[in-house]
Amino acid sequence: MNDPTMTGTVGGIGSAFERWRERHLRVLMLAPTLLILAGLTLFPTVYMFTAAVQKVSPDPDVPREFIGLGNFARILADPELHVAVKNTVVFTSIAVTLEFLLGLGLALLFDKYIRRLNFLKTILLVPMMIPPIAVALTWKLIYQPQFGVLNELMFRLGLPSQAWAGDVNLAMGTIIAADVWEWTPFIFLLMLAGLASLPSEPYEAAQVDGASAWRQFWDLTVPFLKPVIAIALILRIMDALRLFDLVFILTVGGPAGATETLSLYVFKVAFTFVDIGYAAAISLVILFVTVGFSSWFIKRMRLAD
Amino acid sequence: MTTRVQHRATEVISRLLAYLVMAFALFITIFPIYWLAVNSFKLDIDIFAVPPVWFEFSPTLKHYDAAFIGQPFLIYALNSLIIAVTTTIVSLVFGTMAGYALARFDYPGRWRYQISFWILSTRMMPPIVTIIPLFIFFNFFGLLNTKLAVVVAYTAFNLPFVTWMMKSYFQDLPPELEEAAMVDGDTRWGAFLHVALPLARPGLAATAIFSLILAWNEFLLALILTQTERAMTLPVGISGRVTQYTTHWGEISAAGFLASVPIIIFALIVQRHLVRGLSFGAVKG
Repeated sequence: MNDPTMTGTVGGIGSAFERWRERHLRVLMLAPTLLILAGLTLFPTVYMFTAAVQKVSPDPDVPREFIGLGNFARILADPELHVAVKNTVVFTSIAVTLEFLLGLGLALLFDKYIRRLNFLKTILLVPMMIPPIAVALTWKLIYQPQFGVLNELMFRLGLPSQAWAGDVNLAMGTIIAADVWEWTPFIFLLMLAGLASLPSEPYEAAQVDGASAWRQFWDLTVPFLKPVIAIALILRIMDALRLFDLVFILTVGGPAGATETLSLYVFKVAFTFVDIGYAAAISLVILFVTVGFSSWFIKRMRLAD
Repeated sequence: MTTRVQHRATEVISRLLAYLVMAFALFITIFPIYWLAVNSFKLDIDIFAVPPVWFEFSPTLKHYDAAFIGQPFLIYALNSLIIAVTTTIVSLVFGTMAGYALARFDYPGRWRYQISFWILSTRMMPPIVTIIPLFIFFNFFGLLNTKLAVVVAYTAFNLPFVTWMMKSYFQDLPPELEEAAMVDGDTRWGAFLHVALPLARPGLAATAIFSLILAWNEFLLALILTQTERAMTLPVGISGRVTQYTTHWGEISAAGFLASVPIIIFALIVQRHLVRGLSFGAVKG
């Protein structure tokens, strides 16, 4: 009796159209989104598959030349790319680990001791909401070797001043620090939301049984928080792997490639060297690795159900 | 008795320690933004001063004048605004319908799950892998360096977010209200339009603001798709004043701070929806 096609205005000018619309509503409402997303994903993928097996000259008048897997072979023999991969992995693992530990630690502390959190949340959400370019600028000011605040702090502590983002050994650290500043609040807020939704009964039972705070944390809090932790981590990891804005402003990948990330390297190959075939080959590999990893993760965590 | 006193003492100390950690975290969070803001109001001589001038300086609007009147930052800001608003409207119209469909309708087999999953996985695609084809695509249609190209790209990137957010808000609504409207003679589409949509208004507003922020902040795609005042967005304009040889500190601080202010205000408005927005609707804060 709830058949949608049988209800609605009967008769009138719009009725034939209305009936058609009602019958196909579940397809019609999805169609625009699916078409746009298909355009976004299918066209690039097909384009890249064709470009990746060709030698594409920067000069559009030079015809393309089929070279099979030649561009993929270059991936294996490109030391600069290998450095970029290593940098991206190092950055992602250290930054996300720090953000996770700090965010979870702060959330546990605040959940226990500080009740009225709204004002605090308001301030903490600022770093991750403002434009990443503004974040990069802010830290560029702080790291500035001649008049930056960080070297002033070093001076006050009686330590030698540093080149920070301009120092081969410190540059990656400066990027990580800025990213940790920007994204720890993200983990913090998600963990706080997770902690707020914990049921109280198991804790009361544990208290009665005399379980230590440590045991309660590992046996109750961690398992309950697991879904939230999983979401927070996957979103952060996928984001960290595509790091671009911070390095583009702070170091442009330097000094000597110390902070060159995958995104920055592909950008360079495509738009500075105009080596489209090779850039397409690298992009395809990145696409399969990242989408494969996140798909596996989403399926495993049943996030799409 | 002593154990109770001891217990009380540890409690007080832990609490004090927690407040101390909180104060430190707040300081670390606020200081860099404070520093960007004050530097935008300083004369060059105070920006470059060693040791730094923390509070006492004669404030100036010189850099705001230089950036927004001298340099075309006002136009960049306007471009950013037009692009962000258009992107938000388009992705909200389509994404809300898709979100509703996925929240309410049955699809044969595992299609509902498969479609939801596929939509989310497109969001996981790093933008860098699409920039070359997008560049070629817009170049082919003569659309490089137009606001339209940026809007099309941003809409595609925001759609999965809007769809998932709205799906989660619609799933929170009881379907009985729409069913009642249909029993009273409304169509399915009518029930969506007149019942579900008004009820989801807070979620709609929050999603719109998140979408605005995403578009306003985006950098990489705009960097590739825009070159001149005709379409260039604020983040790209700012990055153009940070060159290898000279950095116009005052100007970019002014532009960077002014680009952040509306976002901070918007973020305050969606505070209650923040956790949900940050997790694609997966965590309901």
